[in-house]
Amino acid sequence: MAQVVFSSWGRNIIDNRAGGEVVNAAFRLPVAFDGSRPLNAFMGWDGIILFDKEVDIPVMAAEYMTRVQTLFCCGKCTPGKKGTRVLMDALTGIIEGRGSERDLQLCEEMFQLLQNCKCTLCQSATVPIYDAVTHFRDDFLAYINGAKKRPGRLPYRFIHKQTAPCQDKCPSHIDIPAYIEAIKEYRFDLSLQTIRDNMPLPSVCGRVCPHPCESACRRKNVDESISIMLLKRSASDHEWQRNHLPPMQPKPRKEKNVAVVGAGPAGLAAAYYLALEGYPVTVYEALPQGFGGGMIAVGIPAYRQPRDLLQRDIDIICAMGVEIVYDCRVGKDITLAQLKEKHTAVLLAPGAHRSKPMGVEGEDKGYKGFLTGGIDFLREAYLGIPTGMGKKVCVVGGGNTAIDCVRVALREGAEVSTLLYRRSRKEMPADIWEIDGADEEGVSFEFQVLPTKILVDENNRITGVQCVRMAMGEPDASGRRRPEPMPGSEFVVECDTVIPAIGQDPDLSFIPQESGIDITKWNTIVTKYLPLKDAAGKDLKDGMGNPLARTLITDLDGVFASGDAEIGPLTVVACIGNAHRAANVIGRWMEEGKVYLTDDEIIEDILVYLGVYDKNEQVPWLDSAAREEQKEIHGSQRASYKNYNEVELGLTEEQAVREAERCLRCYRVAMAAVR
Amino acid sequence: MVSLSIDGRAVSVPKGATILEAARKVGIHIPTLCWLEKVSPTGACRLCVVDVEGVARPMTACNTPVKEGIVVTTTNEKLEAIRKQVMELMLVNHPLDCPICDAAGECDLQDKCYDLGVTKPEFQAALNRKLIRYDWPLLESDPNRCILCEKCVKVDHEIIRSDAIEVVARGEETIIDTHDGKSLNCDFCGNCVGACPVGALIDKPFKFRGRPWTYTVTRSSCGYCPVGCEIDYHAREGRVDRVTTSDDTFCNGNLCINGRYGFDYINSEARLKSPLVRGKKGDWDQAMTLVADRLKEIVAGHGSDAVAGLTSPRLTNEEQFLFQKLFRSALGSNNIDSEAGFGFARAVEIIKTATGVSGATNSMDRIEKAGAVLVIGTNPNAEATGYEYRVIAAATRNNGKLVLANMADVKLKKISHSHLKYKPGSEAFLANGIAKLILQAGLEEKSAEEMISGFADYRALLEKLSLDTILEKTGLTDTLLRDAAAHLGGKCSVAVLFGSELIRSGTPGAVEAVVNLALLVGAVGKDAGGIFPLHEKINIRGLLDMGVTPDLLPGGASAPVKGRDLWQMIQGIEQGKVKALYLVGVDPLTSFPEGGRIRKALEKLELLVVQELFPTPTAAMAHVVFPASSSAEKCGHFTTLDGRLMNVAKGVTPPGEARNDGEILTELLNRITGGREAAEFAQFPAEIRSAIPDYGNVTTAPKGPFAFTVTPIPESPATTGFTLLVGPILFHNGATSTWSENNRQVAPTPYVELQSADAAKLGILDGGAIKLTTDAGSLTGTVRITQRLQEGLIFAPNHFPEFPVSGLLMGNAVTVAVKVEKG
Repeated sequence: MAQVVFSSWGRNIIDNRAGGEVVNAAFRLPVAFDGSRPLNAFMGWDGIILFDKEVDIPVMAAEYMTRVQTLFCCGKCTPGKKGTRVLMDALTGIIEGRGSERDLQLCEEMFQLLQNCKCTLCQSATVPIYDAVTHFRDDFLAYINGAKKRPGRLPYRFIHKQTAPCQDKCPSHIDIPAYIEAIKEYRFDLSLQTIRDNMPLPSVCGRVCPHPCESACRRKNVDESISIMLLKRSASDHEWQRNHLPPMQPKPRKEKNVAVVGAGPAGLAAAYYLALEGYPVTVYEALPQGFGGGMIAVGIPAYRQPRDLLQRDIDIICAMGVEIVYDCRVGKDITLAQLKEKHTAVLLAPGAHRSKPMGVEGEDKGYKGFLTGGIDFLREAYLGIPTGMGKKVCVVGGGNTAIDCVRVALREGAEVSTLLYRRSRKEMPADIWEIDGADEEGVSFEFQVLPTKILVDENNRITGVQCVRMAMGEPDASGRRRPEPMPGSEFVVECDTVIPAIGQDPDLSFIPQESGIDITKWNTIVTKYLPLKDAAGKDLKDGMGNPLARTLITDLDGVFASGDAEIGPLTVVACIGNAHRAANVIGRWMEEGKVYLTDDEIIEDILVYLGVYDKNEQVPWLDSAAREEQKEIHGSQRASYKNYNEVELGLTEEQAVREAERCLRCYRVAMAAVR
Repeated sequence: MVSLSIDGRAVSVPKGATILEAARKVGIHIPTLCWLEKVSPTGACRLCVVDVEGVARPMTACNTPVKEGIVVTTTNEKLEAIRKQVMELMLVNHPLDCPICDAAGECDLQDKCYDLGVTKPEFQAALNRKLIRYDWPLLESDPNRCILCEKCVKVDHEIIRSDAIEVVARGEETIIDTHDGKSLNCDFCGNCVGACPVGALIDKPFKFRGRPWTYTVTRSSCGYCPVGCEIDYHAREGRVDRVTTSDDTFCNGNLCINGRYGFDYINSEARLKSPLVRGKKGDWDQAMTLVADRLKEIVAGHGSDAVAGLTSPRLTNEEQFLFQKLFRSALGSNNIDSEAGFGFARAVEIIKTATGVSGATNSMDRIEKAGAVLVIGTNPNAEATGYEYRVIAAATRNNGKLVLANMADVKLKKISHSHLKYKPGSEAFLANGIAKLILQAGLEEKSAEEMISGFADYRALLEKLSLDTILEKTGLTDTLLRDAAAHLGGKCSVAVLFGSELIRSGTPGAVEAVVNLALLVGAVGKDAGGIFPLHEKINIRGLLDMGVTPDLLPGGASAPVKGRDLWQMIQGIEQGKVKALYLVGVDPLTSFPEGGRIRKALEKLELLVVQELFPTPTAAMAHVVFPASSSAEKCGHFTTLDGRLMNVAKGVTPPGEARNDGEILTELLNRITGGREAAEFAQFPAEIRSAIPDYGNVTTAPKGPFAFTVTPIPESPATTGFTLLVGPILFHNGATSTWSENNRQVAPTPYVELQSADAAKLGILDGGAIKLTTDAGSLTGTVRITQRLQEGLIFAPNHFPEFPVSGLLMGNAVTVAVKVEKG
């Protein structure tokens, strides 16, 4: 187990340099950067972690500050611009033998003075410098006294990364502080440019993203998080509302080309980034023309994501040189082997469109009024084909799809739309604002109930669902209390339609077994990954339980996988981040014949694992600017028959600028020393 | 309101105000360097740090909103130390070239160092020197002196929307530069220079001209466009060396190229310095005697209809008044007119009939708060730049919707929500089309039916008009028109701006249609919005108010006998009835239509008197030329489009023997009448005050009565072939600025803009020659290929005396059918 030589991370000093009893600490870092090259030291906003005593801290500090000043400092405030320059020159002077003890004192002064920076980039960069001159003073003095000379070739390399809590948390890693700052400066166009660097569906993720970024917003430690998602919408709407043409220009067209299975968020995103690089991309989509977008189109109703705007995002991607072949189901209309034959590389991004069964008596009997699943209902409603829905609708489930179903049922003419969920309202996985939206539209809820039987009449028409009330039972072995049926509490919810919306998983039947592509027990595609392990030897996993740093190539060379079918059913933004990574890997595989992750991609994954946001951080700031709220359409009319008009109206540009002003621009720079 | 305490003093400010604003309200000074009131706060310099009780770090006052009950301290030992240290950091790598820096003496950095006791360089870094941009026209950028306050960038982007300069690079290398690193290509308004607190951005024409404190500074009014910016002439040794303004003026310190750099014509060597009699240098007595005697003789011999005169909107109200007095009372003739006769005067009449107001119906700044803005038949960027700044504010900072309707792409397109690029001559169809859709959607002003007479007739007219006709005539799509209607309809206030392309449209009824649309959407009578007719030259409104028209006396009363308007004057000359023409600041051979016809007419005159600054083509034909003065060389008043009375003050004396127009007119009047009137114009003359009581009170929100003027649009044959549009460009104003070397630096020569598709068809390359022929004559010019026009449309700027393209126009319209050949 790797031993920590020194750490000041999180303001907690561990110093094993003097010997004696070893104090240990676990950090959420891999022992080897890419699974093989040892991680020797780590320097960043929260201090220094030294694993290898051979690492020269004065040299590393000088290099860190040089990179902060020359690569990242925006120059937009005096202390940051000038202070980091003074520090860079002082530290470099020391290791070049021109330093004095006054320079060490200067480092401490700058640490104090740079507390007054405009943002946290330069300010937080003085933290490890301060720690270095405080705890490694003798090492600096050795240079100052001439006892030590600047080393020649170092036995390790430095790998850096700029990040921010929100950017780190965003699965697409959009440079959020940059796009917000652009809005603050009334540069909606530049803002959108920044967004598109990592997010090719801005109108979508400006509207329906679950915005994990906002849960990692440092402004939350002052009052409320920044409305990060809506600011993205503002940037996207600006271009659309002012009839601007998107500025992107793809690189000259290349020979090598890519097939993408599925025009969903992952497929479209990968296609976009590959097309920008000049690769011809053909996307094969099972649904007909006009219904591109995958789960966004069939799973998110138009009152949340207006179709013309989704189509605009798709049209822009196509304008980069992407061809979408509609009405083409891979496995039926064309085989995977044929795709592989026709194209240099293949990306599988079929999504997760198969409804899971809900496990209730009668669901497999083919009753009239029992619909196959929420996602099928939404798709059919959107495609305008009969859904088989009656007038009294029961939806079973607690996720966003279940909520979408009860709200769409109203718009499809249901007189009663009821949601049945086995836990309580606050345990629902659906987003709170979606639940509130359903509430306002007149959906009725039955919480903590379990459907036990589908009731039918003599014609096998559904007449109701028999349910039982649930209560929290005793904690189980894991200490978690599970809902258990309350004996004697059976009751019937009258209805003519039951829609199970329990969840979806991918339909991977198009992948022939002989292809060699491995599939997990959760029905997702297995891809290769870097063997990152922690000090205890445990594999590092991401939030979905997948290996942390994946190359996204399947077991079949030239075939890659992305999106829900690779990750497991997740979010649009997660699929896009994953697909962007896939596009990069595919590009390298086509050009160099190798599958690998760059240092920048690896450190990005490592930072996600480490975590950049600290919910316990005390952020001294005056809480005098409240979060801006968007206008919404209210009243029952908004859910009237066939009314799919957008419910949420976004921020006005004036509001957007004010909201952007609230951003604390929490950039941080990390640097690793890797053998 | 939010209450807080600053340094122990209680203060209440509106919600959303900053701590800095609150402090200023009670007179507490917090030092700032990067804060500029008219743009969004930047927070770059960090000098405005203050302590807020309970917050464990200093907050910057300039961008921190107030909160109820907070206790703020603006100065203590710790804050002073931070400010001083930050200033010391700012001086790292700042060049010590104050002795030769243009900003020395008016440098904010110098002042702040002095105030904060920053006396020696406390911090060091390796010397870093950046490239000075000597290659930009009119402006020079020395990034070494830059303190990165971003004022220039923000003015450029937020107010002007030139989007030419940005913060580029990282760390100490960070500078303000053009976004592509190329030479500066912008509006050249120089407002970035005005905002620069140090010597990083400087006016090239002023560089090394002199130390700021050695100049006499005179606050006056810009003599170019009718926005009416207050400007300061900096004069020394009889020369104006620069023009500045300040942010506390009505125009917030935002000039255009003409205002800031166009002064250069004043110093032109080409200025007329002595009277000319039949082309030869004469003296004043000789010239005066000749003109007075000949005018008297002609009136005595042929009656007062034999004399006529035209003035320029560049003359002051006092001069306009004297001019009409000379003609009406001394010569007994109403034969006076001006370029307002081409359409502006009629547009004002139409607005007056509709709203009761003669000119803009609201103050210019009220555009900024309008919920929607319609800009139609004008490029305000060129015609009255200050109005464009207000439109930009409305549409980008205040949530207003902008509908832009004109024949070509113009700067406002990039911020417009709807751009209606209509076919030439279809303005009336367009306005009626939007009105029709607004009525259909029920988005009209709710009180319109009740408050505005003629509503039923108007509705009937619109109902009769078919949408298909509208789409065919305008060349626009149904969606475009509906979007525009949705943007303009149902708003709490709307501003409607139009200019020469509408006022001088080839189709009658265009102005009426736009004014009706304005009434329909409730543009008049509200606190925000209004109707704003634009014109290119400063005192067009004052000229009309002072009665320089053939039919209206000062103040608007009808003249007992209508005199000849300008076309009737030409006819009169052609028929031999008009024998003498007196032109003050008017050069018909450069700026009037039908140039060939006019030249012939002028040749027939027995007496042509030209009062001018420059040896114009028309002056070359004159029997007598009086050398006159620029607006920097006289006192008096201008009236802006929205009715503000602007003070004109004398910054320098006229060159040589040149005299003030007012003095010349007074002496001529005295010589003809034998009177002894004095030429004294520093105060607004009592004579005008008594003729027009209350003059100079700005009309805001008129209460009516309002009336629709319903005029059917005549069927016009569809145009085939090319249309020539003649109009202004940003870099010049009238012909005056073509005598300014500064303006010629960025717009040196005349050109003819040709749409790329047309150029390809005609086989003409960029820079090639093109021959334009109309019924009025022909002219060969140099082609500039563009994408901003539409196929079949050709544009040529109207400013250049060496390329009198206005002379190709026919009648009043600024468009004309033109035959095009490779030259």
